[in-house]
Order: sequence, then C-alpha cells, then structure tokens
Amino acid sequence: MTVGPLIVSDLVVEFIHDGYAIRPLDNLSFQAQAGELVVLLGPSGCGKTTLLSCLGGILTPTSGTIRLGDVDVTAMRGKQLDAYRRDDIGFVFQAFNLIPSLTARENIAVPLTLTGHDRKESFARADELLEQVGLADRANHLPSRLSGGQMQRVAVARGLGHNPPLLLADEPTANLDHIQAEAIIRLLQGLRDDGRMIVVSTHDARLVPIADRIVHMVPPDQHEERPTHDVTFAAGESIFEQGDPADLVYVVKTGEVDVIRVLADGGEERLNHLGPDQYFGELGPFLGFPRSASVRAHTDVVLTAYSPRIFREKVLHKH
Amino acid sequence: MILLTFRDLVYRKTRFIVVTILGAVVFALLFVMTGLVNQFNLEPAETIEQFGADQWVLPEGVSAPFTSVSVMPAAAFDAVEASRKSPVVITRSSVSQGGETEEVVLIGFEADGLGMPQVVEGRASGAEGEVVLDRSLDIDVGADITVAGAPFTVVGLTEATTVLAGIPFAYLTLADAQMLAFTSTEVISSVLVSGELAPLPPGLTSLSSDDVVAQTLQPLEGAIASIDLVRALLWIVAAIIVGAVVYLSALDRQRDFAVLKAVGAPNSSLLGSLALQAVLIALGAVALAAIIQVFLAPRFPLPVTVPARAFWQLPVLAVVMALAAGAIGMRKVLRSDPSQAFSGAGA
Repeated sequence: MTVGPLIVSDLVVEFIHDGYAIRPLDNLSFQAQAGELVVLLGPSGCGKTTLLSCLGGILTPTSGTIRLGDVDVTAMRGKQLDAYRRDDIGFVFQAFNLIPSLTARENIAVPLTLTGHDRKESFARADELLEQVGLADRANHLPSRLSGGQMQRVAVARGLGHNPPLLLADEPTANLDHIQAEAIIRLLQGLRDDGRMIVVSTHDARLVPIADRIVHMVPPDQHEERPTHDVTFAAGESIFEQGDPADLVYVVKTGEVDVIRVLADGGEERLNHLGPDQYFGELGPFLGFPRSASVRAHTDVVLTAYSPRIFREKVLHKH
Repeated sequence: MILLTFRDLVYRKTRFIVVTILGAVVFALLFVMTGLVNQFNLEPAETIEQFGADQWVLPEGVSAPFTSVSVMPAAAFDAVEASRKSPVVITRSSVSQGGETEEVVLIGFEADGLGMPQVVEGRASGAEGEVVLDRSLDIDVGADITVAGAPFTVVGLTEATTVLAGIPFAYLTLADAQMLAFTSTEVISSVLVSGELAPLPPGLTSLSSDDVVAQTLQPLEGAIASIDLVRALLWIVAAIIVGAVVYLSALDRQRDFAVLKAVGAPNSSLLGSLALQAVLIALGAVALAAIIQVFLAPRFPLPVTVPARAFWQLPVLAVVMALAAGAIGMRKVLRSDPSQAFSGAGA
C-alpha cells in the first residue's frame, strides 16, 4: 500500500469562463511523503477541489507535473487514468455522494464489483471496512437512514475499498457537528498511521493540528498588514494583472487608470476608467480571491496603497 | 451492474411502475392491432379454403365472387368441363331475429357438392327453409329467423366463415338462394371446380382460390394500411415513454455515474446498467400487455386473432426499441464528467 512521495511542481489550471480565463491554480508546488496527512487549507474558491481533481487524475492540468512515486500522473491519459483512479486513489467526496438506492454495504461493494473485483470478496471487504469505521450495525441501511457523520464514514470506507495508497478527501468535515467531525478526524488519523498518504481539502481549522503538512492555497502573508504608502506608475504600466494574488487596495491620487478584463482569446475588454479619488482592487483582498481584472495606468499616476483593514477604516467608512 | 440496476428500479419504483403500466397499455394496443391485421389477412384464406375449390369459374369481367356482383346462366354450368364441379350462388343479404338485422353473405350450395358448409354444430341445410349460419352471428341452432324477409330455421353453425372484416355467411340450399337472390333457378353466381379444368367457353373466366383470396382482401387494404400507420405511431409512443424514463433516470443518476466513474468504473458497466433498466421496463410492459390483451381483444368490435409470433416478435422489437430510445440517456452517461463527483450536495 505504501507509495513513493507525491511531488507537485508548478501546477497551473486555467479555465475559460464566460469568455475570460480564470486560474484557480497558479504555479502551485509542494511535496508529501507516504504516511503523511496533508491539509490543503484555504477559503472556498481557492482551488482546493481543483487540486484534488488533478491529484486524482480526474482533471488534466494546463501545465506543471504531478508525480506519485514513479508515476507521472500528468502524462497519463484515458484508460491509464482509469486504472490509476481504480488502483491508487481513494476518493471521499464533499457531501458524501453516496448512491441513494444502495445500502451502506452496497455503496462500498458495488464500486468494487464494477471495477472488476469478485462479488463475494467485494462484500466481504465492505463488511470489514464498515467494521473499521464503526458502522457494522448500519450495513443494510440506505443513506437516507444514516446521519451526516455516518454517511461520511461510509464515504471514507468506500474510498478505502481497494486499499489505495493515496486517499483524497474533499471537505470531509463540512456540514458535520463537532462530535461527528471528531470521529472523522480520528478515522483519518488512524488511516494515516497505517502508512497511507491522505490529502484533505478543507477550510476547517480543526484539521490543522493533526496535519503533517499544510499547503496554503492562498499565501498566508496575503492579509498581513502593510503600511499605507504612495506608488507611482508611468502611462501604460501595469499596476496588477488579472489572476495575481490580491493584497492591497488602491486609491487614485493623480492621473487616470483603466480597468481591463483579459479575454480567453488574448483580447482585452475595458471595464472601467477611473480618475482622482476613485478606488479599485478592494474585493480581492476582502474576499481572498485573486485579481479579477488587470489595471493599467492610462496616464502617469500616483496611487495610495492601503491594506484592506486600513482601507475599510479610513477610506470606505468616509464614503 | 445487475444489483445497481435492480436497486435503482426499487428506489424509483413508483416512477417505473407508472411507466411500465403506460407502456403496457400501448403494447396491449399493439398486440390488438397486430391481431386485427392478422385476422384481416387470415379471414379470406380460412373462409375460401372451406369451399374446397381449386378454381372459381366466373363471367368475364367479374373481378371476384365476394367483391362484385356475379351472375351467369345456370346452363353455363354444363359448359364447364372439370373433374369435379358445383354451382354456387353468392350474394349479399341480411338475416333478422327479434328485431335485430345483420348483414350476411348468402351462399347457395348443392348438397354434397363443393361449397357445402363444414358444420361445427347441428347439420348442413338440406331442405327448403333451412339455413346454416356462421357462429359469430350468435344465433342458436333451432332458432327461427328471416333471411331477406323469408322465414328460415337454423339447422347448423359454421366457424371462420366470414369475409370483408367479419361479414358472416348464411348457407342455404342452392334453390332457396337462387330464389332469394334472383327469383329464378336459372341463374347462378359461379361454378366451383376441383381438379382438372378444361378450357372454358367464351364469356367465362376462372380464378384460382389464391386469386379469390387476394381479391377478397383488396377492399381491406386501406384499412390495413391505416392500422399499420397506427401501429407505427404506437411504437413511437412506446419509444418516447421508455426513452423519456431512461433519460430522466440518467439525469437523476448523473452524480452517481460521476462518482462511479471517478472511482474507475468503466463506461461499459454504467451503460450496461442503464440499458438493462430500459430493457427490463420494456419487457415488463410487454409481459403486462400480453395479459391486458387477453381481456381487451374480446371487447374489440372486430375479430382479433393475435398471432403466436407476436408474443416473441413484440418483446424482441420492444428491446431493440428500448435500447434505441434509451440511447439519449446513455449518451448522458458517457458525457457525465467524473469531476462532478466533487461538486454539490448528494445523498
């Protein structure tokens, strides 16, 4: 079951949405070892699920590489990826995603039989896993008759059906109360101790203390407060580009700027034209999102750069 | 795959039961329509076979004995040279009993000759004032009736002696029929011939029994074509019903399929599950239809004979139709993206 290190290098995923490009993963790199519990930490929309999809061979990244031991996941296609998912990866999906018509036992066994495992062995394995997650007495219950925590434990057991060396869990404690979340965390700890690598995406800080490695999907220094200062840009110079991490909010002191949306085909669309006393770039830092547009100096400009907190207190409240 | 299919059928049982019943009603109508067309095709062959003739001698210019008026002098009978021959009168008339009148085809036959009724109850009419009726008239042996206004007693019954979609035969002695049809014993309609037939004198022509069958069927061709059109429409309705439920099922199960794909389940297994569901619905509907048609067919105003072959042809066609109709749903499965497993709320 033990697998070589997981090495993610310069991973980029870019989508085209409504004619413009968005980049949920931008040159992400990290490594993890077998037996580690890796927590992907960040707010909603920061690319955690996208990263899990790439690690699980469901989504092909735009560029960069993912290696699991000797296997270059990003070089695989079609049936190779099917085999990789079937043999090396266990998935625990957000909101459980159990099949509603199947009992807990069948939810674990049927994916095994569909991937070519012997029917009898599949059901024996399902019984064994239900015992392991403490749900042997709920084996014949439909998901509709299980609590959220119980459904999540069945989902974990399903992910472990073929004993994968890498388990990917998407928000496994979301929608669970603290008692149920604790049971899931304890379960993941135990699985990690078996020598399995576990990658968990979450914005639940309760998972941080048990993590062996934390991958911050949004740079942790992004919201560090920086002093207010003036910056100058010559006409045509870029102030920031669409997709850049957002850290500061700008108020135009003198001159004019253009707010531009970069389209998927490389073209540009001017969204706004701002002059003195007008501000821009506030939503990204407030929400933890990357820049949704580029801003360029239309003329020579002087801008005042604020940290989000100071901007909120000193500028926004005045307006 | 079988378990996945079976469990889903149970999980969405209300929907599948409703669709199976709807499908069964459509398939039952298909059974009946098939039986109707089959009966139309069988009827003239079965009826004309009972005359025991190989050839039918008619006046030139008469297309067939049951679809046009055929009149020839009785003396023409002597001019026909054949191994075995019998004169026959054929004309449209009516029988009445208790105020109810039914249209019939009168057959005047010669005792012990060709065209004599094959009686299944009672005996053949042999004397003046006796008549043998087709059983479909629902008149018992011994009943007193009128034929074309003249009193007759029913002495026997025949079966499968109807033409033109259920018009029953009434057999009389040749003389009675001649008098009712022509008020003369010097006129007949045709000469039935069995065995060798010598060249006919001018003014007469002959038709084989097969020709007579084909000619008798001709007036019903429009009706048969109309029923065939209705059958085609019923197949389309059945395909829409099965296709719609399979498509709905594919939509409902899209995330399930995405999850199973994500864990490495091959497309073939998932397609197989959906296809099996379509086939089971179609076969369930056909099985129920086979029962419904037993009760529906006798209530049909026209005779219905569902051919035995329909009981295997219809299920086979239904399976092919279900797979074709389910193709849209199956395409949905093929296109379901495993990354959908990571999104939204599920069970």
